[in-house]
Amino acid sequence: MADLQPGLAAPPPVAAEAITTQQRNQARMAARRFLRHRLAVTSLVLFVLVVAFAFLGPLLWSYDHTVDRAIPASTPPSMAHPFGTTTAGQDVMGQVMRGTQQSLKVALTVALISTTVGSLWGAVAGLYGGWVDNLMMRFVDVILVVPLLVLVTAMAGNVRGGTSWWAVALVISAFIWTGTSRVVRGVVLSLREQEFIEACRAMGASNSRIVLRHLIPNAAGPIIVAGTLAVAFAILAEAALSFLGFGIQPPDTSLGLLIENARAAPFTRPWLFYPPGVFIVLIALTINFVGDGMRDALDPRQTMTRR
Amino acid sequence: MAVYTMRRLLAAIPVLLAASVLCFLLIDLSGDPLGDLRVAQPPVDPAVIASEEVRMYLDRSVPQRYLLWMTGIGGNGDIGLLQGKFGPSVRGPAFDIGAEIGARFLITLRLVVIALMMAIGLAIVSGVISAVKQYSTVDYLLTFTGFLALAMPAFWIGALIKEGGVWANRELGTGFATIGAASADTRGFTAWESFTDAAAHLFLPTLALMLTGYAALSRYQRASMLEVLNSDYVRLARAKGVRNRVVIRRHALRTALIPLTTVSALVIAGTIDGAIIIERIFQWRGLGDFFLESVSTNDSYSVMGWLMLSGIIVVTANLVADLLYGVLDPRIRYG
Amino acid sequence: MQARTKLARTAAMVLVPVMALAACAGSDDDTEGADGPGTTDPADPPGNGVEAQPGFETCPEDPYNCNSGERADGGSITWLVVSGVRTWNTYSPEGGTVYGLQVLHGIYPHIGMFGPDRETFEFNMDLLAEEPQLLSEDPYSWQYVIRDEAVWDDGTPITADDFSVSWKLGTSAEAGHCEGCRSRATTNFDQIESVEGSDDGKTVTLTLKPGEVNLEWFTMFGVDDVGGGVMPAHVAAENGFDVDDPAQLGDYFEWLQETMPTFSGGPYRIVEGNLEERVIKEPNENWYGETQPTLDTYIMRIIPDQGAWVPALSNNEIHGGSPIQLIEDILRSLDQMPNVHYHIQPGPAWEHIDFNLDVPELQDVALRRAIFTAIDADNIAARIYGEMYPEYTRRTNHLFAEDHPNHVDLVTETGMGSGDTDAALAILAEAGYEFDGQTLTLDGDQIGPFRLRATSDLVRSTSMELIQADLAQIGVETNIEPTDDLGTMLFEGDYHIAQFGWSGDPAFVGLTSQYYTTGSPSNFGGFTNDDVDRLAQEELTRLDIDEAADIANEIMRIVLDEAYVLPLWDVPVFTFITDDYVNVRDNTATSLRGVYNNHEWGTAVQ
Repeated sequence: MADLQPGLAAPPPVAAEAITTQQRNQARMAARRFLRHRLAVTSLVLFVLVVAFAFLGPLLWSYDHTVDRAIPASTPPSMAHPFGTTTAGQDVMGQVMRGTQQSLKVALTVALISTTVGSLWGAVAGLYGGWVDNLMMRFVDVILVVPLLVLVTAMAGNVRGGTSWWAVALVISAFIWTGTSRVVRGVVLSLREQEFIEACRAMGASNSRIVLRHLIPNAAGPIIVAGTLAVAFAILAEAALSFLGFGIQPPDTSLGLLIENARAAPFTRPWLFYPPGVFIVLIALTINFVGDGMRDALDPRQTMTRR
Repeated sequence: MAVYTMRRLLAAIPVLLAASVLCFLLIDLSGDPLGDLRVAQPPVDPAVIASEEVRMYLDRSVPQRYLLWMTGIGGNGDIGLLQGKFGPSVRGPAFDIGAEIGARFLITLRLVVIALMMAIGLAIVSGVISAVKQYSTVDYLLTFTGFLALAMPAFWIGALIKEGGVWANRELGTGFATIGAASADTRGFTAWESFTDAAAHLFLPTLALMLTGYAALSRYQRASMLEVLNSDYVRLARAKGVRNRVVIRRHALRTALIPLTTVSALVIAGTIDGAIIIERIFQWRGLGDFFLESVSTNDSYSVMGWLMLSGIIVVTANLVADLLYGVLDPRIRYG
Repeated sequence: MQARTKLARTAAMVLVPVMALAACAGSDDDTEGADGPGTTDPADPPGNGVEAQPGFETCPEDPYNCNSGERADGGSITWLVVSGVRTWNTYSPEGGTVYGLQVLHGIYPHIGMFGPDRETFEFNMDLLAEEPQLLSEDPYSWQYVIRDEAVWDDGTPITADDFSVSWKLGTSAEAGHCEGCRSRATTNFDQIESVEGSDDGKTVTLTLKPGEVNLEWFTMFGVDDVGGGVMPAHVAAENGFDVDDPAQLGDYFEWLQETMPTFSGGPYRIVEGNLEERVIKEPNENWYGETQPTLDTYIMRIIPDQGAWVPALSNNEIHGGSPIQLIEDILRSLDQMPNVHYHIQPGPAWEHIDFNLDVPELQDVALRRAIFTAIDADNIAARIYGEMYPEYTRRTNHLFAEDHPNHVDLVTETGMGSGDTDAALAILAEAGYEFDGQTLTLDGDQIGPFRLRATSDLVRSTSMELIQADLAQIGVETNIEPTDDLGTMLFEGDYHIAQFGWSGDPAFVGLTSQYYTTGSPSNFGGFTNDDVDRLAQEELTRLDIDEAADIANEIMRIVLDEAYVLPLWDVPVFTFITDDYVNVRDNTATSLRGVYNNHEWGTAVQ
């Protein structure tokens, strides 16, 4: 692997190999430990099922979330409509599928954006240190000063003219990435003094290469855990926003919106009230357990004791 | 320690300032305080709108307005945070944002403080039990409850607790109230009656708010307690024959509380969020309600005042947590 | 002592600022400034030989006496108010919402209101010694004779001075009577030339400016007029305001904004309260009316959150209320409470679909007619209300509800709102449009997609989806775009097709010119038609109310023929009350709704 750029020495293959091998071992061990965590595995399976329900379900199920003249008004659960129907003539199962899909889109987008932005921000701050670190972390402090839901509400309340799922996702992400950035910065601070980073530097690797190829992969554990927490958080935040009237707007729907619309119904038409709520709890619960399992599996201290 | 406190307080000032700039910009971008007036039907006299613009200082540029809002220099005497004035409200010249925030703060404080204390207290107790009896039925039960509470939307918990309260009133003859912080008509109440009335109104919302905070805290408490129990010095203490209770109380718990202080500071911010939702469900006219009302009417100076207050609370909470660190952990000395 | 004047038939000319865009928005801030109808004096005071009629079953036949019964002395009631109010002054846009009027009803003396039959204007014969009469048509003038017994709570007589101050408080800046008054509606009062007192002020003579006509003069100073009644002059003097000085009157206006009224000229007085949580009232001991309140305490509790109503009701924290729209699960919950009566009927608001004529494609009347024809209004209404209220009423006239004496069915014969796809396609084919079973085209260009917009509450979002499906049948593609700021959306013409609501009372004169004349601010879709403009002018100068109504109907016939606005249905509303109370019932002809006769309320004799 000859380096075409003059002046830059190619990294000695041995070192690179050593690093990748170490990663692979870590990943395999983590996976093995995770699989031993029965609750986490069950949760992961459940979560995948919920995702499949949300994204594959609509392809198989005969009704979507919209009003259909053929659907009878306000019937309790039956074979034809397992979750019952609304007065206007919507199939609640179709609604819950769509709602779960939109809520998951929000949550997964939030997780993606917040971990990407948060990791890069934290890694750069940690790597450069000094005034760069100071400035970047003060910025994080500034965002953390104000309670999150408050800022989100203040922003989302004014996304006039109907809020779509990606707008909700963007607004939530804009304020939640800070947590990840702190975690990653902490990891990077401890990593950057380690020998392999110094080796990379000595070999002339650029900073972006160090961040992307070495620091972030080595902080993968905490990042993944933060990502799962972001999913749980975003699901609940979306629900809270819908409750306050600042979330996704009809005719589209989300789990939060479905519960909010059925808030008066727990005793009169429970089939409207419980299914969306159960799905929120299911998502948040399983993803929390998965996160917990991952935390255990990726815990570096456990790695050391078992070695 | 005094020096450290001072230093931390001074460091908080630029953060708060930057936060205020950020919020000011966001709020300015997000809506026109006079939007409703401009499209009112029948149309409002343009002269009225113009005079409202002047009253709300909307005739000035954003940087000018920010400076004015912060310092009050060049204003009409109703604005200037540094002078303790929060600015004019779209709710009319008579509406004093500062006084309103003050009055509502006391209402919300009652709710939040009690809920937080209970949440922290319960979290410590159940965290310790869970850790000491790790993998017992009690542990699983507490863990599961914690996770469940963590996974439920706050307004769902609130609604369920409210229905539970109404059910208890009907079936058990309890006297929980579901609306507001006090009965509608409290004239002629004795001190004792006022107290029981307030308690009846506090119970359900506090319970709901407590659950949301408790869930996160108990998880952390269990984890840090476990870590301490497995640490060398606790094993050493045990090996030396110190009684189990003493070990837990004097050695383990004290250390395990340290991470909890940090988390508590975060939970305070979360509780402010939670209070917004719980106040809506139980129809309290506290700060949360004030905030939502201000957001929906684009009352920018009210929203700013609110954000500054919550910012200060969060910063203070963090500072207190850091100071508590020192009290709890003898290894840390602030200089 | 009941005043049933079939005056509604003769009424006429108030540019009623009926604006309740939000009336059906379904959230907390609705129906601002709706100048609803007014009612006054209970037609048949309970216990006056009227047989007790517990419950609301008899309301359709006997709207004045349903749920009546004998009152026991004492007791307390807590009434639900579904939205907060910002200020105490009902003249201001912030204070004069329907909720402001509801909270303050029973404090200010008033001339009268439309009764629960939604037709008759009931004069307040507790205040008036005789029914007001029109004195002359040129200049337009009439007079009130006030009873000698009518006094404010401190014993000060209610006189022409109070009427004069109240008039000036409601005028615009140009009128020159007040500097700084921000009245929410000035059209009526700006017509007035003078308010003169005679006979110790007990006779009040009002005269309009030369050439001005107001066919609905009798609604002035009624419960749905700007202030919801008459403000006291002596209170201004006591607080140091010289009401003849325009600047000081402006100060009085602000004082009324900020000050909770402890004075009263009605059956109740406010003893404690704020506009965010609750207002506590007790009987005014100096009230001069025939039917005295029997309740010791009457509390208005403000609870905007719909989810909180049923638990509060079952927990005895509220006892009754009249929300502005149907909420299915609340009604279902009430069904499960044996001790609660409720009653559904058409409310003051109605829904309609409007085109934005600035959109080039929509300037073709054939396309507009076809779209209106393809919309199945009955199916939509049945889908929304059928479960709770199968008796919902389709709206067949833009101005007059079905029970209005001047109502004419304009819609049915046009076939619009019928959902007749074939008829719609025939109209389109004739106009040269081509439909291939999927898409509608004109000269090869696809029609649409159009932006179909409304607020995002359950009712309107269901309606949007059904309209979208109906229009797909004729190949017209639409995209639903909800809004949370209906006012701005309409004002800026930020829509192609929109659904919203208007709210009003039986008074009507001037509304057509407000809605449909060229350049009128409430003519959001930019409709312009020379005949309509001419007729609207003519309507305003008529001296006979039926003639004015005929012209209005003529205008709406044109509007419908031009397929600009399609009326859909009357928005149903409901009132509920526990069976512990009697004489509580709805009056949908006024903004006051259930509280219209609050001085007659009482606890039921067990």
